[in-house]
Amino acid sequence: MSAPVSRRVFLRDGALALLTLGGLPPAFLPRWLAAQPRTGTRRTLVFVFLRGAVDGLNVAVPFGESAYYRARRSIAIAPPGRPDGALDLDGFFGLHPALAPLAPWYRGGQLAIVHAVGSPHPTRSHFEAQDYMETAAPGVHLREGWLNRLLQQTSRGRSLADGAAHAADHRWGQWGLALRGVACGSTLPLALRGPHPTLVLDPADRGPAVDDAALRLYRTDAGDLLARAAAEARDAARLLASLERQAPPTRAGVTYPPTPFGQALRQLARLLKADAPVEVACVDLGGWDTHVAQGAAEGALARRLQELAGGLDAFARDLDDRLADVLVLTASEFGRTVAENGSGGTDHGHGNVMLLLGGSVLGGRVHGRWPGLEREQLHEGRDLAVTTDFRDVFAEAALRHLGAQAPERLFPGYAIDPRRFLGVVG
Amino acid sequence: MRRTVLLVVVGGALAGPLPAQSAGDTLLAAHLLRRATYGPRPGDLDAVLRQGWRVWLERQLRPETIVDTAWERTLARLPDPMRRAVDVVDGRTWRRMAADDSAARRVVVRQAVRQRLLAARDVATVKLLRAVLSERQLEAVMTDFWANHFHVFVRKGPVAFLLRDYEERAIRPHVFGRFEDMLRAVAQHPAMLLYLDNARSAAPNAAAPGRRAPRGLNENYARELLELHTLGVDGGYTQADVIAVARALTGWTVGRDPDGQFVFRFRPDWHDDGPKVVLGQPLRGRGLDEGLELLHRLATHPSTARHLARKLAQRFVADDPPPALVERLATTFLRTGGDLRAVTWALFASPEFQAAAATSAKVKSPFQYVVSALRATGAEVRRPEALLRTLRDMGEFPFGAAAPNGYPLTSAEWVHSAALAQRIAWAEALAAGRVPGVRLPPLDESVAALAAALLPGRDVKPLLAALPPEARAGGPRALGLLLASPEFQRF
Repeated sequence: MSAPVSRRVFLRDGALALLTLGGLPPAFLPRWLAAQPRTGTRRTLVFVFLRGAVDGLNVAVPFGESAYYRARRSIAIAPPGRPDGALDLDGFFGLHPALAPLAPWYRGGQLAIVHAVGSPHPTRSHFEAQDYMETAAPGVHLREGWLNRLLQQTSRGRSLADGAAHAADHRWGQWGLALRGVACGSTLPLALRGPHPTLVLDPADRGPAVDDAALRLYRTDAGDLLARAAAEARDAARLLASLERQAPPTRAGVTYPPTPFGQALRQLARLLKADAPVEVACVDLGGWDTHVAQGAAEGALARRLQELAGGLDAFARDLDDRLADVLVLTASEFGRTVAENGSGGTDHGHGNVMLLLGGSVLGGRVHGRWPGLEREQLHEGRDLAVTTDFRDVFAEAALRHLGAQAPERLFPGYAIDPRRFLGVVG
Repeated sequence: MRRTVLLVVVGGALAGPLPAQSAGDTLLAAHLLRRATYGPRPGDLDAVLRQGWRVWLERQLRPETIVDTAWERTLARLPDPMRRAVDVVDGRTWRRMAADDSAARRVVVRQAVRQRLLAARDVATVKLLRAVLSERQLEAVMTDFWANHFHVFVRKGPVAFLLRDYEERAIRPHVFGRFEDMLRAVAQHPAMLLYLDNARSAAPNAAAPGRRAPRGLNENYARELLELHTLGVDGGYTQADVIAVARALTGWTVGRDPDGQFVFRFRPDWHDDGPKVVLGQPLRGRGLDEGLELLHRLATHPSTARHLARKLAQRFVADDPPPALVERLATTFLRTGGDLRAVTWALFASPEFQAAAATSAKVKSPFQYVVSALRATGAEVRRPEALLRTLRDMGEFPFGAAAPNGYPLTSAEWVHSAALAQRIAWAEALAAGRVPGVRLPPLDESVAALAAALLPGRDVKPLLAALPPEARAGGPRALGLLLASPEFQRF
C-alpha cells in the first residue's frame, strides 16, 4: 500500500473521530453551515466533461472563415442574420443557434469561450485522449485525476500530509474531506479518482439511507477500494437525506432538462445553495461522437447542444448570486475534422473549444489565438490546430478561481506558468 | 431441506460420495467457479470437485457437450427482437406511411421508439436469464467478454433489433473458435456496420452514388477496428493506416433481404480501388478480398495477440495483469493461429490464475453481482423488469455502454460510494423478497450454513463474527447482510 493511501486512511479515521466527538445528527449540515461566516473562500469549480469529442467548430462557429463553408457542405451553420444562422459573438465567431440560452450569459460577461484549445498529444483515440485530459498528463498513463491531485495538493495552502490540521480546518463533521470532491452522476470520472476522498452522488438514488450494519462489515477490510467506498457511501447517504430535508428548492421559473445531466446539475445546485463546501464537482455529458448525420442548425448535434445549454442556463439561474463563487468549465477530449465526412458527420480531429461560465469569468469574448482553417494552417492538414494547451486553462481555473497555491505537481512534467494564462478567469 | 434437493439435481449426473479433497482443490474449484461462471450455485462446488477442475473446464470449453434443456426451454418462450425488426425497422415502409403527413410521421416514429425499447428489453432479458440459468456458463461468460470487446450500443439506430442475431451468429459460435472468424463475422454484421458507421462510408469519388449514398470516407469503424478490436492503441498504427483501412473497407455496407431484414452487402461501386498500404505492407487483394486480407493481417498481428491477451488477463486474473501471463497468452494465440479455446484453457490453467494472490482480488461488475446473487440464492426469476431497472441504475444495462470500448474490466471503475449503496440496498431487498418478479426458496438454515452456501471455499468466520446480533439467527436479515458483504462483492 502506497503512502498516500495510508495518509488518507488516517484522515478518514480523523473525520470519524470528529463525528464521534460531536455526535451531531446528519441534518445539522445546512444549519451549521448557514451559521458560519461567509469567508469568500468557498469557491467551486464544476468540471463538465463532454465525452465523445464535441464538434467545437459548430459550437463556436468561425463564420468569418470561408474555408469553414467550403469544408462543410451540409453541416455548416449559416452566418448570423441568415435563417438558422449563428448567434453573433464578435463579428467572426457565432454560437450554434441551439446554444441560444447561453447567449445572454456571454453578453453579460459571465460566459467566455476558449477556441483552438486542446492537447499537445496527437492521439485521436477517444479513450486515450479522455484519460490524458482527465489526468492532465498527455502521453502518460496515470490513474489519478487532475482534480483529485488538486484536492490533495491544495487546502488553502495546507498539504494533505497535515491531516489533523486539515480536518480541523474544515470541521465539516462526518463529511470531512470527501465533500470537497463530488461527482454528480452514476460514475466516478477519472478526473476525480485518486487517494483524496470523494463522493459520488447519484441523482437517481431515491432509496432509503444505506444500511449502517452492512457498511460496518467493510471495516475489517480497511484500506482497500471497498472499505473506502463504504465510508464514502455512509457520507453520501446522510448528505442526500439531509439535502432532501433541508436544501432550498429549485428557484421558481428554472427548469432543468429532464435528463441525467439536467438532474445532476440540479442536485449540484442544491448542494451549493446549501453552502456545502464542495470545491470541485464533476458532471458528465456524452453523445458527442457525431460521425453520421450530425445535422446543422437542427439534428443530432443540435439536440445535444440544446441539452447542454438548457442545463447550464438552468444551473446558473438557479444558483443566482451563488454563481459569483462558481466556475463551470467544459472540456472534451479533442475536436472533430474541419471537413465533413462522407456521411454528413465529422471524424476525430484535434483542436476544440472550452466554455467557461461563472462569476469569476472574464466573459463576453472568445479567447485564444485563432490559427485559421486554410489547409496549410491545419494540424496534419485536416484538423483545427491547437494554440492553447488545455492545462493552461485548467491551471488558470485552479489558481485564479479556487485560489490554489501554485501547486508544483498539478501537471506531471508540465510547469504552471501564469504568463501563458489567457486571462479568462479573474 | 429444499436446498438438499437442489444439490442432488445439480450434481445428479455425477452423484456419489465425494472423494476426499485437499483444501487446495477446494479453493481452486471455488475460485474457478467465481471467475469462469457467473458465480457458484449451491452444489456447484461439489460438482467441480467430483469431476476435478480439469475435466470440468474441458467440458465447459466444449459447450455443445453440455445438456442445457432448462435454459433452452426458457429461451423458446422469450420474444425474439428480430421479429419486431421486420415490422418496424423497414425504413421504406416508414417513409411511405409518413410521406407527407407529419402527424402520421410522429405516430410512426413514436411506435418505432417504443418497439426499440421493447427490443432492448428483449435482448437484455435473454442475456440476464442465460447468465442465471445456462449450464454452459463459460460460454455465457466468454460471449459476454467478446460481445463487450466488439461492443455495439443498443440505443444506436436499429442496433437493438439486430443484437440477438449479432450475439448468436457473430460472437457465440466463435468464442472457442478462431479469433479471425469472429473478427470477420463482426465486420460483416449489420449491427457493427451500422453502429460504427462503415455502412455509410464510400470512396470519395465513388462511381454511381445514389441520392442517399455516402459521399466519402467515414473513419469511425476503421479507427476502432485498429484501436479496440485488434492492435490496441499502442499497437503501432498511424492516422495514415486508419485512412487506408477505411478505404479498404469502403463498400462494406448493409442491404435488405426480401424479408426486409438487414444483411451484409458489398457494393463494388462504393469501393475505393486505389492502392493501399497498411502497417507498411501493400494490400494485394481487390474488391471484397482486400478487406478480408486486411482482417487476416490484423487478426494474426502480434500487437493484436498482446492486446487481447492483456484484456483476457485483466478480466479473468487481475486488474493489473501479470506481464508474464500476458506474454504467454499472446504466444499461445499466435502459435495456434488465434485458437480461442487454447487461449482460454491457457488462461485458467495458468499458475498466475491459480495463485493465491488472484483469489478474490477483483470486485464484481454490477451484472456479475446481480447474477451471482440470483444464482447463489437459487432465486427464480419470473419477471425480469425490476432486475433490468436495477442493472440500468447500477450502470451496466446489457449492451448499454455508450462508447465503443464497452464496459470496463477493472474493479476501480465500478466501486464508489453510490455504487456500493445501490448494491447493499438491492441485496437487502432481494433477501427480504422485495424484488418484484423474483422468488427465493424458503430459508430454513443457520447463518453458518447460509454463509457456506453463498461463499463456498471461503473462510467465513470473520464475516460471521462481524454480523450484528439480529442476523446471527439466520433468516432474511442474515442473507441480506451476507450478500451485501465485501466478501460477496469480490470474485
